[in-house]
Amino acid sequence: MNLKKVLTLRTIVATSAGLTLATSTFVAAVQVAGFLTGNAAWLAILTSGLLCFLAAACFSELNGQLPSAAGIRLYFGRAFNDNLALVISLFYMVVIMGIVGAESFILARVLSYAVPAIPPLVWIIVMFVIAAWVNIRGVKIAGNFQDIITYGLMLSIILLAVLAFGKINFRLENLTVVGGPGNLIQAVALGVFLFVGFEWVTPLAEESTDTKLISKGMLIAVGLLSIVYALFTVAVTSTVPKEALGHSVIPHLLFAENLLGKTGVIWMTIICLGASITTFNAGLLSVSRFLYASAREHVLPTCLSKVSFKYFTPWAAILTIFFVGLAISIIVLITKRYLIFVNLAAAMESLIYVLAGLAVIKLRQKIPAAQRPYTIPGGLILPGLTVVVFAVLLATVLITDKIAGLCLAVGLFLSWIYVINGVPVLRERHRKKHPARRRRPVKVELEEQ
Amino acid sequence: MAEHSEITASLRAFQEGYNKNKRLKKMNADWDRVVLVEANDIPSRHTLILRKGELTIQEGSPENPDIKIISDSETLADMFYGDITPTQPYLNGTLKVLGTEDDVVRLDFISLMIWGE
Repeated sequence: MNLKKVLTLRTIVATSAGLTLATSTFVAAVQVAGFLTGNAAWLAILTSGLLCFLAAACFSELNGQLPSAAGIRLYFGRAFNDNLALVISLFYMVVIMGIVGAESFILARVLSYAVPAIPPLVWIIVMFVIAAWVNIRGVKIAGNFQDIITYGLMLSIILLAVLAFGKINFRLENLTVVGGPGNLIQAVALGVFLFVGFEWVTPLAEESTDTKLISKGMLIAVGLLSIVYALFTVAVTSTVPKEALGHSVIPHLLFAENLLGKTGVIWMTIICLGASITTFNAGLLSVSRFLYASAREHVLPTCLSKVSFKYFTPWAAILTIFFVGLAISIIVLITKRYLIFVNLAAAMESLIYVLAGLAVIKLRQKIPAAQRPYTIPGGLILPGLTVVVFAVLLATVLITDKIAGLCLAVGLFLSWIYVINGVPVLRERHRKKHPARRRRPVKVELEEQ
Repeated sequence: MAEHSEITASLRAFQEGYNKNKRLKKMNADWDRVVLVEANDIPSRHTLILRKGELTIQEGSPENPDIKIISDSETLADMFYGDITPTQPYLNGTLKVLGTEDDVVRLDFISLMIWGE
């Protein structure tokens, strides 16, 4: 009794890595290098990747125990309580919209650099219209296409890095100079952003018969990404002067231009487009499905649960994201403060990893006999370490970027206020509009019949 | 705990609601799926077959279903009678729907069309 359609490990790795690979992550990778005095970004990136292994292990255990597309909503709801799960999930969706906003801004700048005649705002509008249209039509990135994009991108980046090493007659110099432990911790904290979204693959648990494949896929994806980002960052910082990189929104494009001229610009633009397609689409898809599900359980206004009769897609939720995402992108375009969203995402991701570690511990205490296809070895040591490490990284991000810290605190507070005061009102309104009805005959009646 | 016959009756009610809705049948005309409905607390398995927009029910399990719906017998009976929406048990982990994301959304939408909010 196996499902007809099941995902392969290759596609799970490609999906997990593809969700993470984005145009904004290339910029963040160069920002990581900016914290360090030498050319030691690879060290920070590999450390971030290694720490993300801890988080991946926690997600693997949670996903094995509770395989569901509801993801953190279910894990945190079971481990703590539904209100906390809702507060975190709602704000996380806002942060994802922020990432989509920052991503579209950076991609628009890349495209404007490659085709200067078209201004960034036009690119942003075009991208949002295409993404919304594709999502409303229900067009999906097929597994094989996802494989080609992700593995092609990774190979392409590695090839560019190797070319760069050859061109500059690469030597192992300054590769371990970090400029102090504080700098390294800051770099590692931002480095977490490079892996944002690897766990978004867990909803695919329902499309796979073996939940262990999801765990394995996540771990392989984090490992591959660590290597790709580390090579890329060392190549960029070895080829382009740090001063030029630090103030640029398109350091990866400068690198490619420096390396291969106009061909490099075209090559990197194609890489960015490929990287953004999957992230952009995944962001829109996951947020729209979340809004739809939340509206269905009367946590958000019911109008968001409207579904297209033709394509069976939640068009109202998709259009809402279209307008909110577009607004965020235009704000970023005007203020140029895209790094706030990058830092906010790194902080939020760290917070979620802290809670994932705590959820593993709590669920083991609450339901010790539950079936767990995968259990993190070593008892409570690794989940505990996950909590401590990501709490430190969260604090580091908040200290480094106080505005991002303020946004996180205000966002969580508003989300909490909404869950405590707004949600009961919506539920009460629904109860009044649709009084409880029971179609199922009660058992007594059945027995009498 | 609901009995197997109650789940069967709930599925018949669901089938009746579905077959009454001409628009829904037309919309699903090209969505051929085999769905296994399985209770995890009593021995109860049913197969829903959607073929050319028509919904039929069989006792027992199919060989290769497209979608699996697994939950406790009470939730299954309540859900197919439309007394509860699938969203709540799905989000709290009581209900498991194994299949592609599109299929899961469509099933939820069919339930919405038959039973309302």
